[in-house]
Amino acid sequence: MNLVNRREFMKRSVGVAAAVTVLPRGGVRAASDKVIIGVMGLGGRGTYLAESFARRPDAEVAYLCDPDTRRFARVREAVEEVQDSKPKLVQDFRKILDDKSVDVLINATPDHWHGLGTIMACQAEKDVYVEKPLSHNIWEGKKMVEAARKYKRVVQVGMQTRSAAYAKKAKDYIESGKLGEVHIVRVFNMMQHSRQQPSPDRPEPEGFDYDMWCGPAPKPPYNPSRQWLNQWEYSCGPIPGDAVHQLDMARFLINDIPYPKSVSHAGAVYSLRDGRETPDTQLALFEYEQLTLMMEAALWTPYMKKTPMDVRESDKFPNWPFSSTKVELLGTEGFMYFGRHGGGWQAYDSSGELVRSEYGRQGDKEHQDNFIDCVRTRKRPNADVETGHRSVLLCHMANISYRVGNQKLEFDSQSESFSNSDQANKLLKRQYRKPWVVPEEV
Amino acid sequence: MRQGWSDQVNKEAMPGSVFLSLGIVAVLCRCSYCGWLEVKDLEVRQESTELGGPKIIIEYNLTDPNISQASPACVFLRYSADAGRTWRLIPTDSLRGNGFGIVAKPGPKEVVWWGTDQTSFGDLSLVEIRVRGVQMARVPGGKFALKSLPGGGRDESGIAAPDPNLPLYYIAKYETTISMYTDYLNEIGGEGAGWNQRMSNAERCGIIQQSNHTYNVSPEREDYPVTYVSWYDAVAFLQWCGLRLPTEAEWEKAVRGGIYLDGDSTKKNRNPMPERRYPWGDQDPNAGGFWRCNCDGDKDGFAYTAPVGSFSRFSSPYDVCDLAGNVGEWTFDWYSTSYHVGLDGFRMVRGGSWMAVPAACDAITGATQLPLKESSIMGFRGAIGPMP
Repeated sequence: MNLVNRREFMKRSVGVAAAVTVLPRGGVRAASDKVIIGVMGLGGRGTYLAESFARRPDAEVAYLCDPDTRRFARVREAVEEVQDSKPKLVQDFRKILDDKSVDVLINATPDHWHGLGTIMACQAEKDVYVEKPLSHNIWEGKKMVEAARKYKRVVQVGMQTRSAAYAKKAKDYIESGKLGEVHIVRVFNMMQHSRQQPSPDRPEPEGFDYDMWCGPAPKPPYNPSRQWLNQWEYSCGPIPGDAVHQLDMARFLINDIPYPKSVSHAGAVYSLRDGRETPDTQLALFEYEQLTLMMEAALWTPYMKKTPMDVRESDKFPNWPFSSTKVELLGTEGFMYFGRHGGGWQAYDSSGELVRSEYGRQGDKEHQDNFIDCVRTRKRPNADVETGHRSVLLCHMANISYRVGNQKLEFDSQSESFSNSDQANKLLKRQYRKPWVVPEEV
Repeated sequence: MRQGWSDQVNKEAMPGSVFLSLGIVAVLCRCSYCGWLEVKDLEVRQESTELGGPKIIIEYNLTDPNISQASPACVFLRYSADAGRTWRLIPTDSLRGNGFGIVAKPGPKEVVWWGTDQTSFGDLSLVEIRVRGVQMARVPGGKFALKSLPGGGRDESGIAAPDPNLPLYYIAKYETTISMYTDYLNEIGGEGAGWNQRMSNAERCGIIQQSNHTYNVSPEREDYPVTYVSWYDAVAFLQWCGLRLPTEAEWEKAVRGGIYLDGDSTKKNRNPMPERRYPWGDQDPNAGGFWRCNCDGDKDGFAYTAPVGSFSRFSSPYDVCDLAGNVGEWTFDWYSTSYHVGLDGFRMVRGGSWMAVPAACDAITGATQLPLKESSIMGFRGAIGPMP
């Protein structure tokens, strides 16, 4: 690691002032240099990203990291199939940060590790590709933005639809005024999830550093049936964790509106009554000056389908009424369906006639291209950390409204806090488990 | 069971199988290991019946002396009515006799094939029949210690909990070999069916594709497990031979054994270690300075895959080999707790692999993989029995 060793990281993490000057490394890089990458978190998404970046001629995956060594083989095999060099396998991501030859940390961990993992990487002068949802809580998201700016790092959030060409065309179409004034945007996230199947606590498995996995979150007895997605300490919940893509698209399409004035929420655990903490039904209203953004989401709607695989990479549209991840934009002169996952978009005029259709393709590769390009040029990426923060903020606001009894909450954009509920403000930040503490001063 | 090439090898024949042209009544025999059990002396004749159409009598000799109740053969028969261009599985409900399906004794077998549609062949000289057998392990019905959390199984709602009380089933003693899969590729004969681009790395995959869409096994690779097969490839192969993938629960019971190894109907042979972590017990794969399975590194003697059965001393209570390590094995179950439900989501792979840490080669650890994934660390084995 360049100027900060692991011990100093720990000091920073635990909030002790560290009198070490960190200089931003390098400027524009030569195109011939491979971008050296470490991947933190080897679940499904981490495996996909590791393989995708390893395929690139301009990148090399040098590290694969997960607290669970049992996960190594799947992703190691995938990487070694497509690149010549063999990645190092580590359980502790600080070994990646210690290696000054590494340029980039891909953070594909569960939600509770996104914040600290990203901040520590910024401190170590790594650029970061962090999966959505950006943060575990609102305060943590602010700190991530601060860290990226302070250490002059490129931080791209895995909200890849921002890089899809069809999304840009939809944005241009809306900005041309063909929908008139858009006053209502509806975001859907209608899924089908399983019930949790409780089982007794078990011994921590051999080869799994469970303490590291828990990180900033509490460390309860190990129980493999506990699904982290459904627990507040580890997650924003399965709905926001996915709906953030569509919420981000809604923001993107309507000129990246920054902050709502208020949030209202309805919903609860209606169907999947299996002991989960996070709701299986969430309806949220975000009020802006001239616009209301609505989120309709549930986990018990089997007839609602994500954009089918055969639509994602072809000239087809989803079956809009049953599209589980669509965005609907209602203007004074027209209406638009917009589909995630390369679903494309279709616009209708004031008489309900279809007037414009644009097929889509997924934006994953373009998003990765954009990230690598920004690592080289030091430009802001398409889904910059601040963009990610403002999109996931909507998820956190909806969750907090739910957790304080579905109260309508007024939001102060300056302080990024609620002006009418102390109870809600207590949920702006989590309790961090030492030593994995996000410091006030990043 | 594991024999070398016999001196009866006919190089034109499909490896490990016997095939016969009805019109010629010639027996071409090849006895070898390579995954199929040894089948000899195949004879086929057609007889007319008084009441219906013709019947075909198929006789052969299943010679492997290791075939037993505990380790039977699963015999399947396939036929071609167009001189070997296309082949079909003979449905077992049109067969009678002692030589198809689960066969628990070696020796001469006779199968009667009824069925006017299939057996009323116009030109007998074009008809060929192939008989193949897979060595299985019998897993008696009864409870076992289900320790893992199967990924939702076949029920997308996730409401149905995995049942630790499984009915009788049979699971292949060995992982499917390169030789077996190559036979399959040659028989289905399509332009690329069952074959994928990743297999074209013959050095890794062990199968050489010829320009005319025929396939050969790379030298000395016959007994190695097939890899680079997707979940769909595995399912198609097993349907080809009348088998299916094991469920996660079946796979796990094959590792650990039931509470009673003879099953719950008799309960005479209690499993001394019903919660064992590995097929051989709880000892780590390298305890005592020697290796019990093929996992990460080459200290176990294999840098990549090993010939199936290489660690047969450390097989499971039912004598199933290589459940730990070598290649991860596709199971029938899918993983249904993620966002990917409804998108043909992840399938569960069990058993670790030659690239996995030893801890990942146990009875509990599973990995998720997309069903189209083709990998050097994944293969499969078959099972047969009522779907639990």
